[in-house]
Amino acid sequence: MASRVPCPHCGLRPKEEFTIKGAALPRPAPDAGEAAWIEYVYLRENPRGAYDEFWHHTSGCRRWLVVSRNTLTHDVYGARDVALGGETQP
Amino acid sequence: MRDSALMRRPAVASEPVRCGDLLLEAPGGSILQLLGKAGATPPSDMSLPEVAGASPGLRNAGPGQWFVVTDRELTGPEIDALAARLAPSLHVVDQSSGRFRIRVSGAPSRRMLAKGVALDLHPERFPVGTATSTLVGQIGTNLARTGQDSFELLVLRGFAQSLWDDLLLMSREFG
Ligand SMILES: [Zn+2]
Repeated sequence: MASRVPCPHCGLRPKEEFTIKGAALPRPAPDAGEAAWIEYVYLRENPRGAYDEFWHHTSGCRRWLVVSRNTLTHDVYGARDVALGGETQP
Repeated sequence: MRDSALMRRPAVASEPVRCGDLLLEAPGGSILQLLGKAGATPPSDMSLPEVAGASPGLRNAGPGQWFVVTDRELTGPEIDALAARLAPSLHVVDQSSGRFRIRVSGAPSRRMLAKGVALDLHPERFPVGTATSTLVGQIGTNLARTGQDSFELLVLRGFAQSLWDDLLLMSREFG
């Protein structure tokens, strides 16, 4: 597990400050149909390797981030604010 | 319905505590939260003259958000005047009863806080005037450096006594 996350607003922070929501997937259109929505809400790939996830900086700036990390090597590639962008590397 | 009087009492019933060169105090005053959209610009010193006599400090609390901290307790009309001045880009919420202010000062301040804070508090990385929200142990805190050897912590009222007790424990080795 990534232990230090480069928050674009706060700098390197320990993972204890964050709440992890899960995979950052593109949201289907409202009328995309039941199958697409079931896949989006319930089905996950659990990849071994590169992974993009929503992380909330709960005990810091309270912004939602997308953290790109590797589930195999524990490398963190970067993090960006969901709404504002601004990728930062560790 | 039974009558019960509202009591006003501090979140931490403690006098200042000295541990060797370390001093822990609860300075009181007022704490206002400024809420804007991410990317909002901070209020300039010029927009805070309403509270100028109360030596306001502006603390970063994430994109578009700040705390204004004053040593003197502000009156309702003073807070309303500030809110009117900063509207509509920033909303002002009086957090004086919701959060508690703790001041730590003395030469070992940084070494003491390092026991509970995962930030690099070296003055080159966290200079005077810097503020950020982080964890002290497991308690969410807004931490500000107010001097080379002095820091202030803003904590939710319900956690104030726990944080105060933790800081005393962390200070024990110094005196
Ligand atoms: Zn952050």
